[in-house]
Amino acid sequence: MARRARSRTYGLTAVALAAGLVAAGCGGGSGSGNVELRYSWWGNADRAELMQQAIDLFEEQNPGITVTPTFSEYDSYWEKLSTQTAGGGMPDVLQMDFSYLREYADRGVLLDLNEQTGENLDTGDLLENFQTAGEIDGARYAVPIGGNVFALFHDPAAFEEAGAPAPEPGWSWEDYDEAVRAVTGSTGADPYGGSDYTNLIWVFELQLRQEGGQLFTEDGELGFDEQRLAEFWEQGESLREDDQVVPASKAVQALPVSPLGADLAASEFSWDNFLARFAEEAEAEVELSPVPTSDPDRLGQYLKPSLMLSASAGTEYRAEAATLIDFMINDPEVAEIFGGSRGIPATTTQREAAEFSGVDAAIAAYEDELLDDLQEMPPAPPAGAGALEAEFIRISEEVGFDRMTPEAAAAEFSAFAERTLNP
Amino acid sequence: MSDETATATTTGGAAADGGRTAERRSRGRLASVAWHLAALALLAVILYPLVWVVGAAFKPSGDIVGSTQLLPTRPVLDNLQRAMEGIAGISALVFLRNSLVLAGASVVGTVVSSALAAYAFARLRFRGRGLMFVLMITTLLLPFHVLIIPQYIIFQQAGLVDTYAPLLLGKFLATEAFFVFLMVQFMRQLPRELDQAARIDGCGYWGIFWHVVVPLSRPAFTTAAIFTFIWTWNDLLAPLIYLNTPEKYPVTLALRLFIDQTATSDYGAMIAMSVIALLPVVLFFLAFQRLLVQGMATSGLKG
Amino acid sequence: MVSTALSHDSPPSAGRGAAERTRSAAPRRRRGRPDREGLAGYAFLSPWILGFLLLTMGPMLASLYLSFTDYNLFTAPEWVGLDNYRALFRDDQWLQSVRVTLVYVTVSVPLKLAGALAVAMLLVRPRRGQGFYRSAFYAPSLLGASVSVALVWRALFSDDAVVDRALSSVGIDTGGWVGNPDYALGLLILLAVWQFGAPMVIFLAGLKQVPRELYEAADVDGAGRLRKFGSITLPMISPVLFFNLLLETVNAFQVFTSSFVVSNGTGGPAGSTLFYTLYLYQQGFTQFRMGYASAMAWMLVLGAGLVAVLLFRLSRAWVYYSGDDGR
Repeated sequence: MARRARSRTYGLTAVALAAGLVAAGCGGGSGSGNVELRYSWWGNADRAELMQQAIDLFEEQNPGITVTPTFSEYDSYWEKLSTQTAGGGMPDVLQMDFSYLREYADRGVLLDLNEQTGENLDTGDLLENFQTAGEIDGARYAVPIGGNVFALFHDPAAFEEAGAPAPEPGWSWEDYDEAVRAVTGSTGADPYGGSDYTNLIWVFELQLRQEGGQLFTEDGELGFDEQRLAEFWEQGESLREDDQVVPASKAVQALPVSPLGADLAASEFSWDNFLARFAEEAEAEVELSPVPTSDPDRLGQYLKPSLMLSASAGTEYRAEAATLIDFMINDPEVAEIFGGSRGIPATTTQREAAEFSGVDAAIAAYEDELLDDLQEMPPAPPAGAGALEAEFIRISEEVGFDRMTPEAAAAEFSAFAERTLNP
Repeated sequence: MSDETATATTTGGAAADGGRTAERRSRGRLASVAWHLAALALLAVILYPLVWVVGAAFKPSGDIVGSTQLLPTRPVLDNLQRAMEGIAGISALVFLRNSLVLAGASVVGTVVSSALAAYAFARLRFRGRGLMFVLMITTLLLPFHVLIIPQYIIFQQAGLVDTYAPLLLGKFLATEAFFVFLMVQFMRQLPRELDQAARIDGCGYWGIFWHVVVPLSRPAFTTAAIFTFIWTWNDLLAPLIYLNTPEKYPVTLALRLFIDQTATSDYGAMIAMSVIALLPVVLFFLAFQRLLVQGMATSGLKG
Repeated sequence: MVSTALSHDSPPSAGRGAAERTRSAAPRRRRGRPDREGLAGYAFLSPWILGFLLLTMGPMLASLYLSFTDYNLFTAPEWVGLDNYRALFRDDQWLQSVRVTLVYVTVSVPLKLAGALAVAMLLVRPRRGQGFYRSAFYAPSLLGASVSVALVWRALFSDDAVVDRALSSVGIDTGGWVGNPDYALGLLILLAVWQFGAPMVIFLAGLKQVPRELYEAADVDGAGRLRKFGSITLPMISPVLFFNLLLETVNAFQVFTSSFVVSNGTGGPAGSTLFYTLYLYQQGFTQFRMGYASAMAWMLVLGAGLVAVLLFRLSRAWVYYSGDDGR
């Protein structure tokens, strides 16, 4: 491991400067004495406050370990982390996102936490759906701290007024489209019944899973063909053409707030933790509601790790890093501190210990209700998935603005995916 | 034409314009009023967005995004209050102080090191100067994003990450080609006779630099100082990459922490903090713009 | 190539005439002096040389090397020769980013400079409240390109916001601009022009350097305003004008933050604000293709460098350095 860490920086170092004091992580667990663990995460000021409480508690329970925190907002976090990783300054413990996991794991910069399980890290209490989350080819590069489920949000008042049927478990995509039309018709498009869901890659994934398919296969290829993607983009066409959903120009204009938050739409798809955001932004009372499905027996939903924790492969303090991760996922007091703000906790103990209030309680109730119908989570998306997501947004905007046909768009996306996944 | 008369009444005031009549003066006053009206009208358009930002700091947080209103209907102060409380127990004053330290040190470093380099480029002849000048201009052309990682490696190897050294060292070593080039352009404008006169007075190169070039280049130095202060103050990328400890964050980095696209964002506190952060820059500009006023007292030089 | 073309023009003693005159005027001192002057030159330049060797040259060479490799940030770079450069010309998005950037450069730079010069001329003479005016006109530039700018831009140019209403009231109905791919680039150009403070301040400093006697002499000759502007102001501030032109052009080629902030890093809507460096950033830091991003960077150096060389060449015809020509 130590050798790997060294060669990683060498390629550059040799050119950039006279090589010399390459910081070689001297692998292996370490002994006693005061250990300084660097821990970084993304999140807002509220999270920083809660984290500090958790860290104080950890330091109290683990004398000899000092935790030095670093935090920034989401985009900045990834820019900083990639620079640090490339330059040999990766933090010991770091927050990881499911969509970036492979990007880092495949390149050998994350520690295989399996070597610490049973000693300093206990993963036995993880929810059943999460038992293998963060595992790639038998190695565990990340452990989930919390989870989210994809959902439909709707404003019951607007639906009721329009005489649209309330969302119910097992309803179909046609039912949903009709409800959207009904609401738009009755309100005179203020708000629209829904936003254009065909620009969300997650809705596409949901539909694929309902058909028994998947977005990405285990070996990192697309799990669908061009034809299917074209159909997906066509699905939104009649709603767009009849002006039944929020037009692309209005949606773009409302950013960074989403159509539902900006009161432009009476329903929208997103991950369930967005309830907190919608509750604050939208005027209307918004509810978490069942997603439409093409197969009532297969909702396609799964528990997705909202936040994960990883350790750097080059850390000098493997044992301590594992101890910190263990503390963050298992300690009941940590759950009390965070409540539902990291997603609904990933271990049974923390789930029971956490007290949910308000919005968090609604999310927890929604997830609890679905728990039995949830399906297995998909394999970690391949390296390059982040780029594909961004490209999906761009191309669906082209479709939304009517500058590209669904067929042409699907062809362009496939070509891009081909280049990105098999460079 | 209004300009011409204005020149006469103001700059020419002390000079010999005894022959001007009272009628001309009153026409000058009229022109002056017209000038002010025109300038204010232009300002109203240009400052509208800025007023919106300041107004937004006093709107309820939920009303800010998408609000087309200029001013709050019912001003609230809790955005400012939340902003001043800071982040994770670190007060906003700490962030402001950090920004001030960084910007202040950068001003000193940039002005001094750029002035030295510019003098060499503009007034001295030596081998390799042309090549070095080209190299300097080339550094302007390369997008900084491809330099981040190699530069980070250098500072990481030197053990300087999480200190202010990576943010300041370059400033003291004139790596900002913009300022060197700016000063070169100004120094080339200074009459050569001055150098010769100073040489006759027994000045060496340092003497010419110190007694002739430095005093006359004050507008350029002031300009560089103002830009350095403001740009360092607003810089986000370098502090983001190099600083790890939140207690060392400058205010720009801190205010982004009120926004989190993965959860809820506090736009009220973010805007309030950016308005607070604007104040020192405004004060700095107000204080230094005075120095821009003083032009060259050429009459004393040409002799 | 960049280097030879530029070095001809490098400012120092490009005023060849001056150099020759000095030499012939002091034939006896010639032998000893260049050494002393040379030493002094290196001494004054030593901080810059140190900075260049220590902080700039290495990273520049590294990025040049990386542009010939496949480098994903985390594993050692792999040599691929010219592959990255070849791939660029087959990349539609790269071509799109070149188009967007060229439009931005050619439109925003002249507009911004014209505005900055006009306001600087307006402000150059001492008047009551000049400090206020100067600061107020600079104020938009204080904001930089922060998140607040993104919010305020939306607040101004959305549907039914102030600009839309003003235009509608005079019968022009455009709808919201922010969400319209045909207008989005225009908005970013407007943003650039709005923040004209930096060139304005530099113009001001330049205008202040113009000796007043020249105007007084022209007054005696009975020259009109336009004449004075053309034959005194412009030539006297030409070094500053050249500086602003060159720097604004170079900076416009590298514009990044405004689109990054306003489009949330996407270059949207529908790729209409995908600036060159924004695409470069996406390639390097979201797609982890730093080799490709480096190739993009060096293509930019080449492109912007050619423009810079052109500007330097042309500058000989119109930029006047009073310090070079002596009397």
